[in-house]
Amino acid sequence: MSGIFEYNGGSIVGMKGKNCIAMACDRRFGQQMSTITTNYQKVFKIQDNILLALSGLNSDIHTFYALMEKEINLYNLKENRKMKPTTFANLVASALYERRFGPFFVTPIVAGLENGKPILATYDSIGCKSDLDDFQVGGTGGNYIYGACEAFFKPDLSPEELEEVIGQSLVSGCDRDSLSGWGGVVYVLTEQKLTVKILKTKQT
Amino acid sequence: MIDFDPSTFGLAHTYQKEDKDEINTLALPSAPQVIYKTLNGPTQISGGNKLNNFKHGTTTLGFVFKEGILLAVDSRASMGSFLSSEQVRKVIEINEYLLGTMAGGAADCQYWLAYLANHCRTYELKNGSKLSVAAASKFLQGILIGYRNSGLSMGCMIAGTDTTGQHLYYIDNDGMRLKGDIFSVGSGSTYAYGVLDNHYRYDLSLDEAVELGIRAIYHATHRDTASGGVVRVYHIHQDGWTKVHDGIDVVDLHYRFAQQKGLVGDGDEAKQRLF
Repeated sequence: MSGIFEYNGGSIVGMKGKNCIAMACDRRFGQQMSTITTNYQKVFKIQDNILLALSGLNSDIHTFYALMEKEINLYNLKENRKMKPTTFANLVASALYERRFGPFFVTPIVAGLENGKPILATYDSIGCKSDLDDFQVGGTGGNYIYGACEAFFKPDLSPEELEEVIGQSLVSGCDRDSLSGWGGVVYVLTEQKLTVKILKTKQT
Repeated sequence: MIDFDPSTFGLAHTYQKEDKDEINTLALPSAPQVIYKTLNGPTQISGGNKLNNFKHGTTTLGFVFKEGILLAVDSRASMGSFLSSEQVRKVIEINEYLLGTMAGGAADCQYWLAYLANHCRTYELKNGSKLSVAAASKFLQGILIGYRNSGLSMGCMIAGTDTTGQHLYYIDNDGMRLKGDIFSVGSGSTYAYGVLDNHYRYDLSLDEAVELGIRAIYHATHRDTASGGVVRVYHIHQDGWTKVHDGIDVVDLHYRFAQQKGLVGDGDEAKQRLF
């Protein structure tokens, strides 16, 4: 269990549905084999129509989120308008590459709704953006969640179905990873509202 | 892979012949020098285990009380961070009066405890009486000392009953053998000790002891990532051993204990913001 990305552990997943997007994350904050708290926030609401999920080193999760908060606040003040999700997705990539030789140890997922159309982008830790897939994962439990996603996912799911599918994928995936779990949160974003649901998972 | 330098075998004493530049044909050949290499204790023998170098991803515990001995174990097996199984049996039933717990290398524990079982049965047939717990644990210790430095990984407890009562021993791959009243072994042992030491008394009743064992294992599984699955509980008494619980899911225990305290159990009592 060596490696800077495995130090804190944690998993995130994002999915596209029909005019909606969903993000889910586990809630564990640990230090290698020891669990410190079970309520750590890993998905952040950047704007009413943009969610940012971060996995990796918890210190950089917090720092990178604070940096993105600052960027979007300045953008709102300077341009006097909201930022489009595709613009924010690009901003994340640039911000990561700015630290090319001393990177943030995070793997972000950006999800948003632009004119009703779902946007989902994922990055490696130095800013390679990939926005073509219908679902993306990140974190130590990512590979296990991929398997569950492939099994459960269908295109154009409704918000309720999407919430169910993403919740199941997260829980099944985290059950096989000892560094992720200890609770789960699912965020479903539609044009009208953002619903947040806490999942009852294994606490072990 | 372990790199073996053949010169490390037989570490107790080594000798080096000094190469002399000229050969003094008149003098007797010098006797070989005997050099005793001092070992800095168990840490050096087992390859330098740093404080957090837990190869044993598990939590097992055992304690002696007035009704006999209670053993409680978890059931998780992990390969790095991947959970390979949540249903492992970490208590090995050596025979009807001896139990062994598994921590460390599963193959090592399974094989050598089965070997011990064979030895106990052979002794019983040859001598007409059962092998004592002290002798059985000593036999296992002898095997493990023979394999010291060869990479075996075992941290097991031998618990059983014989004509002198119920006894609990801790045996590990360094060749350590300790008789004691309370042991917890594995990466989650520190968490289990916290609960165990808080509530242990010799005069616990059987139900209280079972509850204590279950709670201690549960708390270890909650905090330690390498422990989890189900709790299995065994009780050793003068007539042998009984399996008290074959597998209580720690997830159920978590929510049951939370409910007893009047909480939900999602770990978010402070209600942090979620977005």
